[in-house]
Amino acid sequence: MLNIQNLSASIGDTKILRGLNLDIQPGEVHAIMGPNGSGKSTLANVLAGREEYIVSDDSKISFLGEDLLEFDVDERARKGIFLAFQYPVEIPGVTTATFLKEIINTVREEQGREKLSPPNMLKLMREKIKLVDLPQEFLKRSLNEGFSGGEKKRNEMLQLALLEPKLAILDETDSGLDIDAMKVVANVVNDLRRKDRSFIIVTHYQRLLDYIIPDKVHVLHQGRIVKTGDKNLAHELEEKGYDWLKQETAATS
Amino acid sequence: MTSTDKNISKFLTLFHAFENALNGEKDHPYHEWRRSAIDRLQNLSFPRRKDEEWKYTPVTRIVTPNYSVPPRGTVSQKQLDATRIPDFDGVRLVFVNGQLRKEFSDWENLPEGLTVTNMDEAFQHSKYRQSIEKLLADNTEYGKDPFVTLNTAFSVESRLFHVSKNTQLDRAIHFVYINTEEDQPYFANPQKLFLIEEGAEASFVESFQSTAPNRAEYFNNIVNRFQLGANTKVHHYKMQNESRTGFQINNTEIFQDRDSIYSNYTADLGGRMVRNNLSAYHKGENATTNLYGGFMGRDEQHFDSHTLVDHAIPHCQSNELYKGILTDSARGVFNGKVVVHKDAQKTNAFQQNSSLLLSDKAVMDAKPQLEIFADDVKCSHGATIGQLDEDLVFYLRSRGLTDQKARETLQNAFLLEVMELIPVPALKQYMADLITQKFEDATTLEAL
Repeated sequence: MLNIQNLSASIGDTKILRGLNLDIQPGEVHAIMGPNGSGKSTLANVLAGREEYIVSDDSKISFLGEDLLEFDVDERARKGIFLAFQYPVEIPGVTTATFLKEIINTVREEQGREKLSPPNMLKLMREKIKLVDLPQEFLKRSLNEGFSGGEKKRNEMLQLALLEPKLAILDETDSGLDIDAMKVVANVVNDLRRKDRSFIIVTHYQRLLDYIIPDKVHVLHQGRIVKTGDKNLAHELEEKGYDWLKQETAATS
Repeated sequence: MTSTDKNISKFLTLFHAFENALNGEKDHPYHEWRRSAIDRLQNLSFPRRKDEEWKYTPVTRIVTPNYSVPPRGTVSQKQLDATRIPDFDGVRLVFVNGQLRKEFSDWENLPEGLTVTNMDEAFQHSKYRQSIEKLLADNTEYGKDPFVTLNTAFSVESRLFHVSKNTQLDRAIHFVYINTEEDQPYFANPQKLFLIEEGAEASFVESFQSTAPNRAEYFNNIVNRFQLGANTKVHHYKMQNESRTGFQINNTEIFQDRDSIYSNYTADLGGRMVRNNLSAYHKGENATTNLYGGFMGRDEQHFDSHTLVDHAIPHCQSNELYKGILTDSARGVFNGKVVVHKDAQKTNAFQQNSSLLLSDKAVMDAKPQLEIFADDVKCSHGATIGQLDEDLVFYLRSRGLTDQKARETLQNAFLLEVMELIPVPALKQYMADLITQKFEDATTLEAL
């Protein structure tokens, strides 16, 4: 699905990712954990195609056999990459329903499928909005405008459920969520788990991983993956914090 | 007749030709009124850049061409059909090159309660004559400029629209202005006076378009006057999609009696250079003025909106929202003047002007101008000029929309705040469609 080799990325003069390697097979769920400033969000944004990040020439990212770095953000999205934003933006004047309709049909067009008829579109939206436990009225409101933090994250999950991407990246989607909202996030992910769909769950906390059982847990520190394990690694991090790992890394490098 | 302003002199000369072509109309009392206008014009000159009110809008460009009086013009049935607003059942009054064409209009189906009178005729009724003279007096803010005087001197087909007391017009009146391409640039002087009697409600829609949207050269010099009686409601829409080589100067003044509400919705999309002077004067308590405008300029288009709300009476309200998008070398001007007189306590006046500039060469001049002489009022104003928020562009693209589609979506959304204020869905949709067409730079009538 996704193979990252020697990924280095910087913003301005600040180097953030320093030779990161990661391989994700179809159907796998990988959790990326790590202390603040370790590069977790940068990794998510670089994969999505945010242009502010300068990716070094010797970095390689292959997605379903194609060179991902050759594609712009919207091309990546149409190829099946989805980023659930840490801070979803508010877009006044664009109603949620109009926006969802537009993005669903854009992706369908890319896949060579017919556009959905308005009644079918509405049916689909109404069905999926139940999954994220948002009131139907949200479809009529401007995208994220005046939504609470939790509502914005649910809206991200709604888009994930509607777009059915091949690789979904959740960038700290669980941060700041109450337990109910977190369960919604987990439900959507678990519901969408397929052998041909992979997930990258970027998180600060182990809590979400009680509900989404990852195949692998990686610890990111100073722009590199310094430890990889299974779900038990998340528990270990929760108990012991990151300091021991930082020391371990400092000792080896 | 001569003037020290050589451009004024040209119009004075043209007046002779115009007058001779009037035939019998010359003897009407209204023609005396025209003559007195041309006499006044002699002593006026066109504004220059040093005039504060015109400093951003070089009017010389508009008045320099050698204009002729407007030819009759030819319009095909398809072109006429294309000026219809979908799902909107307005009473259509079609003007080609400024002249009413009854054969294209719903002339026989005027709604009950509306009387339309030719100015020549209206002038002979003393009750109308008084109103006309008052409404067209040159003593208001922009009435002093020569364009109103010029309009009066050259107006043909001027009409008075009278809505009788306590009537609700069951259909909106749709003024369809079509300009054709002719051998020589021409100038037209549409003039409309609206007398809305106490308790009446009415909607008026003006749409402007050309059969040669990239070539027709003309100058529409428009004057509208509204007299709103007590407790009246008027919705006034202007959908301006003139030829890209056409000019428009629009002088609209509104005089409001107590408890009246006047709402103006303007979309400026076409034209080479467009100037709106939109002024509301409060004459009674609890009058409300809503002025909403959106514009979208590209290439070298120039849109200038000067608004004035004259709060002379206590307990009145005004709301203004103007939003525009400029790209290429387009230029926009918004000057929002609000005067709150000493006695106009408890005035609520709000004004907001926001613009998006999409290129380095696009220019916006925004000038809120609040002159407040009362001490117990709520007045606010804001002006912002910015660019598209790239974070929003990224978000939309991250969902698969192309860069262009993402930007269009956000530009549409930016203007939507103004569109949302339009109470009639068909008109809201029509304006939205015109804006979308503008993004795509599509031309419609010419291809038909």
